[in-house]
This record gives sequence, C-alpha cells and structure tokens, in this order.
Amino acid sequence: MKAPPVSISCQGLTLRFPVYGVDAKSLKKHLAKITVGGRLGSSHGATEVTAISGLDMELKAGDRLGLVGHNGSGKTTLLRALSGAYEPDEGTIEVYGRIAPLLDLNLGIDPSASGYENIRLRGRIAGLTSKEVDERMDEIAAFTGLGPFLDMPVKTYSAGMQARLAFAAATSVEADVLLMDEWIAVGDAEFQKLAHKRLLKLVERAGILVLASHDLDLLRLYCNKVMRMEGGIASPVTDIRKLDELMAAA
Amino acid sequence: METATHMLRTGRRGPLFEFQMAARDLRASVGRLDLAWSLAWHDVSSRYRGSILGPFWITLSMGLMVMGIGVVFANLFGIALHDYLPLVALGIVFFGAISGMINEGCDTFVHASGMLSQTSLPMFTFVWRTIFRNIINLGHHLVIVVGVLIYYGFWRVANAPVAVIGLLFLVLNAGWLSMLAGIASARFRDIPQIVGSVMQFAIYVTPVMWQASRLSRHHIILDVNPFYHMLEAVRAPLMGAQVAPHTYLFLAIMAAVGWGVTFSIFATIRRRIVHYL
Repeated sequence: MKAPPVSISCQGLTLRFPVYGVDAKSLKKHLAKITVGGRLGSSHGATEVTAISGLDMELKAGDRLGLVGHNGSGKTTLLRALSGAYEPDEGTIEVYGRIAPLLDLNLGIDPSASGYENIRLRGRIAGLTSKEVDERMDEIAAFTGLGPFLDMPVKTYSAGMQARLAFAAATSVEADVLLMDEWIAVGDAEFQKLAHKRLLKLVERAGILVLASHDLDLLRLYCNKVMRMEGGIASPVTDIRKLDELMAAA
Repeated sequence: METATHMLRTGRRGPLFEFQMAARDLRASVGRLDLAWSLAWHDVSSRYRGSILGPFWITLSMGLMVMGIGVVFANLFGIALHDYLPLVALGIVFFGAISGMINEGCDTFVHASGMLSQTSLPMFTFVWRTIFRNIINLGHHLVIVVGVLIYYGFWRVANAPVAVIGLLFLVLNAGWLSMLAGIASARFRDIPQIVGSVMQFAIYVTPVMWQASRLSRHHIILDVNPFYHMLEAVRAPLMGAQVAPHTYLFLAIMAAVGWGVTFSIFATIRRRIVHYL
C-alpha cells in the first residue's frame, strides 16, 4: 500500500485546559479581560482555559507554516496538539507522515548518563529501533564534535556542550512533519553555523514545517505561509508576503 | 488503525469511542514493549550508576533484613530457623516486588510529564516501564530466594513452574494497582502518601513475616487480603506447599475486576491525564 502524501488537516480544532488547584473565581476575575493568554471560562466548577478554538487548517507537502502571536496565544499548544500529545476537545487533527516534535531539546536527557547513552535514549524515544540508533551513532557522535566527552556523564558538560548533544540527538531522525517552537540556535558561533545547515537540510527533507516564532524576519526567511493566533483564535493560513497586512490587521 | 505515518486525533466523545482510543493506546504500547524495556533498564542502571554493587545493594539490604528478622523472630515465635527463615526471605522479596510496583506506580505519569506533553508515545508504555523496572529489581533479589531455597533444602520440594504461574498472577494484579495509583497520583498529589501508608500497613497484616497457619485457617485478614493471596501464589509452591484453589479464584477475579475498573477509568479520563501533570 502506497502511503498517502504528507499532509496536516485540522478541522474545527478546539482545545480546552482544565486548570486544577487554583481559586477559580479570583483567577477568572483577574484574567478574563487580559489580551495575553487564552480565554478563561468554567464548566463543572473547574476553571477552563480555551487555548485554541475552532481552528481550521490544511497543509500539504512543501508548506512551511510560520505561527505568530502573543505569548499564550496558543502557538505551543497547537504544536503539542500536532505532535499528538494533546487531544482535541472538539474537531479533528489528521496528520500523514512521520512527526518529529523539536519542542524541547532536553526531552529525555538524563544528566547522570553518558553522552552515548543519552543519544541512544533520545533516539529510542523518537521512535528509532535499537539497530537504527546504532547505525546513526557514528554520524551523530561526529556531529556533536564532543569526541571522548561522549563517554562522560552529561552533567559534567558545559551548557553549550549539552546543547550540542541534545541538538545532534534530536535532529537525527528524519521526519515528514517538523514541529519547532522558535528556530533552534545553540552552541558557539561555529556550531551555530553547522546546526543551522543541519536544520535546513532537515527542513528540506521534511514535507511540512510548522515553526512558531516571534521573529518576523526569521519567519520570512524560512516560511512560505503564515498564520496568526490571538487568544486561541487563528487567522486563515496566508501567504508569507502578506505578513505585514496580517500583523497590521489587529 | 493508526500507523507511524498516520495520526488521527478527534474531539469525538462517547463511551464506546473512548474505550476504542484507550485500547489503541494499549495496542500501541504492546507494539513498543521494547521501548518500555529500554526505559526500565535505563532507570535501573542510572539509579545505581557508579556504585559497585548496583541493584544488588538493595538485595544486600534485603538479605540483612531477612537474616535479622529471621534469627530474632524465629526465637521469639519459637519456630525452627529452617522453617521460619525461608518464609521471611521469600515473603520480603516478593512483597517487596508488590509494594515496589504499587509505590513507584504513583510516579509513573508524573515522571513522564515531559514526554507525555510533547510526543505521542502511548501512556501504557510508562505503566510497563514501572512494572519492568520492578521485575528487573526482582530478578536481582532472586539471588536471596535461590540461596535460601538451596541452603535449607527446599529446592527438592519447590515447584518452580507453579510458582511462575503464581508470579504471573502477582504481576497481573500488581499491574493494575500500579496503574491505578499512577492515574490517581497524577490528579491528586496526596495519593502517593496514602499509598505509602497503606503498603506500610499491609506488610504487617499480611503474613510476610509471620506464619499464616498461626491464625485460624479462614481468618478474615487472610481471606480478604489481596496481598496474602498474591504472595501465597508464589511463596507456597516454592516451599513445597499447595496453593489453595480459592487463592487462584480470588486472584483471577481480582485481576479481571481490577483491570476492568482501571481500564474504564483510564478510558474515561485518558485525554485529561496530560493536563493533570
């Protein structure tokens, strides 16, 4: 059976978060009218945040979607929903293709384990088999440039070295759908260049990129489409050339 | 059916649908049991990294406890050491496995919050991780069991195949207790303390360190004590005794009802769990 082409389809996507352990009333009073964040409401006595409401979106291979919006406008929530972690409360998300969420590079990093062990662990979490990790190990190890340090516990690394390791491990999986919360820039100047190249290659290979960022120039650079989110409500997906109009519209 | 390259998430509700989704999570986790196993091994090796004995440290401390309790209590109770010490040894090792699975079950989802909130890994994977980790630990502690059985000559009467069946019943039941503790702890942070207290209480009301035969045969704290039946199903055959048929019946019913209830709760609140964390 031939796999259908890479695509993302969201229809009427609505996500609500129950917020536990807060005084529902006072929180509501304080936040109801603030533009930052989603909308608060309550049902069954528990406070609920509507993080995304009624989002429709269709992406196909070749689409590089930039997400813009205030803090708390629902960008990260959307990325997490696309990664399969959050279930919609209403509507549907359908994704064809292997998904690689690069939302938190430090996911699954165990500071007391060695560099090699962490690469292995991260690869396994990303869905590689033991054998596939072995096949990629040399390439990943070489890319980190950490050499003999890979045998040492990660807690002995400097922050930059840790970032190199995490980046190399996280970007070792080829995927059809790449989810990113801010463009990843790690390490020193020299590594940043390498990382940038690797990331670009990954994006090229991936059918679809969804990138949330506050940096409009960056979005113009990497994306061909853009969607603006505000208080959980998304604009239609528009061409990146209309970014200025989109930003001015609000 | 969901595959590696197709993901469908819907806001559709309805009891039947929620159960289908929960079943899909279960199936996906079974397809990736090797991942749960890797995570479990990683947990064990990272907890004891740098120590010489590794998990055998726990084995050693259990061994010392067995010796201490065995020698002193055998005297207090007036029982011959070769009758009493194996009982305590097996009791402590296997009860340790039960309470390990349940106590650590409380952390199953809480510790996995990072992965659960940004990947589509099945939630059951983390349940298996906790169970496997405790099975690995138990594997180390079997040194005590084997040692004691050989030293006191019980290997001649021990019925290992029946004990393995008993162990399956033990894991089957500790499994749902572990998962239930995990779900409850994710939502209510008081649960781990409560579970800890209950397991502490259970070790004294269960014949771990005393002989069940000292009570009248059908004493209520034996009959309705799930831990007694779980322990007995493994310990009795290893000591050359028969397992009462009603113990198997009890364990089978408990597993069926327990998993039924746990799975139903999971199906109902599955989509909420990630938000609890």
